[in-house]
Amino acid sequence: MSESLRFVSDDLQLMAMSFMALVYILRIRWLLKFKASRDRQAPSENRDASSFKGIVYSWANIAMPWSMESTRRMSFFYIQFVVFHLTMAANIGMSIVIPYAPGLIRPMIVVRLLQILFAAACAIGCYRMFRRLSNPAMRLISTPDDYFSLALLTVWSFVSIFAAPNRPDLGEGLLMVYFIMTAFFLVYVPFSKISHYLYYPFTRFYFGRTMGYRGVYPLKRVTQPKPTNR
Amino acid sequence: MAQNARSRKADKVVERMGRKLTRQMVGSLVGCVHCGMCTDSCHYVLANPDDPTYAPAHKADQIRKIFKRNFDWTGRIFPWWVHAEDIRTDADLEKLKDIVFGKCTNCRRCSLNCPMGVDFATLNRMARGALVSVGIMPEGVAIVSKDQWEVGNQMGVLPQDYLETLEWLSDELENEFKDPAARIPIDKMDAEIVYAINPREVKYDPRTISDAARIFYIAGENWTMPSEGWDMTNFGLFSGDDELGAAVAQRVYDRVIKLRGKKLVLSECGHGYRSTRCEGPNWSGKAVPFVIESSVLTMLRYIKEGWIRVDKTKNKEVVTFHDSCNNARSCGFYEEPRELLNLLVPDFREMYPNCAENFCCTGGGGAMSMSEYTPQRLKSAKIKADQLTATEAKTVVTSCHNCVDGLSDVIRHYKLGMKVTQLVNLAANAMMIPEKVVVPVEVPIPAVALPLAGFKILVVDDEPDILTFLAAVLEDQGATVIQAVDGEQALALTVREKPDLVTLDLSMPGRNGGYVFEEIRNNPEITSTRVCIITGKPELRRLIYERPVAPPEGYLDKPVNEDTLLTSVRMILELKHPHGNA
Repeated sequence: MSESLRFVSDDLQLMAMSFMALVYILRIRWLLKFKASRDRQAPSENRDASSFKGIVYSWANIAMPWSMESTRRMSFFYIQFVVFHLTMAANIGMSIVIPYAPGLIRPMIVVRLLQILFAAACAIGCYRMFRRLSNPAMRLISTPDDYFSLALLTVWSFVSIFAAPNRPDLGEGLLMVYFIMTAFFLVYVPFSKISHYLYYPFTRFYFGRTMGYRGVYPLKRVTQPKPTNR
Repeated sequence: MAQNARSRKADKVVERMGRKLTRQMVGSLVGCVHCGMCTDSCHYVLANPDDPTYAPAHKADQIRKIFKRNFDWTGRIFPWWVHAEDIRTDADLEKLKDIVFGKCTNCRRCSLNCPMGVDFATLNRMARGALVSVGIMPEGVAIVSKDQWEVGNQMGVLPQDYLETLEWLSDELENEFKDPAARIPIDKMDAEIVYAINPREVKYDPRTISDAARIFYIAGENWTMPSEGWDMTNFGLFSGDDELGAAVAQRVYDRVIKLRGKKLVLSECGHGYRSTRCEGPNWSGKAVPFVIESSVLTMLRYIKEGWIRVDKTKNKEVVTFHDSCNNARSCGFYEEPRELLNLLVPDFREMYPNCAENFCCTGGGGAMSMSEYTPQRLKSAKIKADQLTATEAKTVVTSCHNCVDGLSDVIRHYKLGMKVTQLVNLAANAMMIPEKVVVPVEVPIPAVALPLAGFKILVVDDEPDILTFLAAVLEDQGATVIQAVDGEQALALTVREKPDLVTLDLSMPGRNGGYVFEEIRNNPEITSTRVCIITGKPELRRLIYERPVAPPEGYLDKPVNEDTLLTSVRMILELKHPHGNA
């Protein structure tokens, strides 16, 4: 391994990650400066209602596609969401594993699984870009950051397909590109919409706390009976 | 500097926005990933598939861009990259007003469907409040807010009108049960229940008050209605004005405390329940020292504990239930109404989707008072109309006065042939009257005089259809009806015929209704003629009430239905009994 590759896969990653962590801390500090509103009303008449339940339900909401009409109706979109986000987590994991524990991704089965995931994320990214460009409502709400973030993750996933085997002996070029992209990604994330995962616990916490206290969460509904063939 | 380029009002809006921001709101402002999952949850979007500007994320972005430009570093440093944009001119504010008031009913359906938990309805309300603070709001919102600040209730019901209504309802109750104790207690100290209502009940639907009174009477409840602080609705919820919200809620709380009431029971009103039960303590910054509950719970308890008995077969219609957004989506109040409904009707059919996922009646968020947005409201109501039709029910039950009006409008507009009622009406109808208060059956009188027989009523409207409708309804009740199609004819006929009552349209070619009304009041010969304004433009109401003459005896918003018209006419003519016994 050349010194350049060692630098981009190790020192550069640490610098980028430290920068990201620093910006995140500042961001959370900024968010916490705003006063949190309280629920002063008496508890709901519903005995099952509780803020705690609401918070847990709200946090777990994303893992319960049946809990929201939007995820029930757009199940294909939900599956994409799951694959895409799992892949991103795997990709970040890989960027740490390669320099510090390369043995973990040495078995070919692991490499192939990762490559399948990255290819799927790449395809999903392309589809989402198409959706964002072709759907008038999506086009209207999209900012340059939305397009760029999606493009960045799609290209990163594509490059990751070739970085997964971790074979610098066959050429360091792709691994260099992969690690430079990863570092750029880490630096860019706090300024982009990709940082939504930082806010997710907060938005979902407060929304769930209120909805739980009032007995709205966990949601209940009467489902429509399926038509019988009589 | 961006700030210097702003108009004074825009400057204030940004300043107020900064003061209103909470951590929850900031989370919602920075958390949106523009995934579009919320889009199809909005009834405006579903009814306007070709207009992407209705997408909740886009509407929220109109608030978000101001936030990003002024309060968030990404928007300050790279505004074009994240679509951050300042609000500068009064025209920008007007544009924002049309979005936050005209394109959203704050129903919160998109909030429940956002994977990130972005609560757009809360953002929208915050933006409404910031605009209202600089006087930018629909005319109807301004009028209603003014009434609630000054008169103490959102429909401008004067204290004597309120008390007189309770008085004649008490008379009817006493007459029905032949019991001097069967009256509506007013300002009774130490009552178990203080009952607060929606002013719509006094003005258009006193039947709901009398139905509640009948239930309290049969249940043997120790209850009272307050002479002040009786309006549990709160336009602060719709206008985003937290100060109004706090003042209105506190007015109700103070009265209960003064009367030493044990419990405040709220009549069926979604936004009233949410405002008084849930948001009021948050707006006023202090907890409430007594229990607050919906009358739905009260009725349910009466039945379950045997205070009253009901026979559900008395309600024969096939019914469906519409969940009010404020009840279901913001207060989790959707199981109890169903439990009660199942005790009151034999054939209840669910509407889909339902509970917290139900669609708005389309009249929520104060939309019924914003006549300038009526066409887009009614277009978006197609979703509700389809939902109602699919149930195949003939009656839709709801636990919200605002929804009664919203749904009635939808039903009329889409010619669904359904009727709207509330749980209190069904409960009163199903209630079995115990032996001790059974009224002896009187010998039927062979010929009953029609209630309006002997009254002469002049109906004035430039629209022939409305004129015919009003005349037909009043004639059917025995009134002698004269018709006028413009202001001049109306004045001439009032002088010549000396009618007991004039129903007066405001917007007419030539001499308009406002002019005619003032002429009637200024002419000593006809000054005591009773007048009921019937208009499709609620924003003109202020013009009538601000005239330097005695106010009209009645006021109705178009479209007006038969029941509402007759109730108002009857109240104005002070008809406790058919003519001759009044």
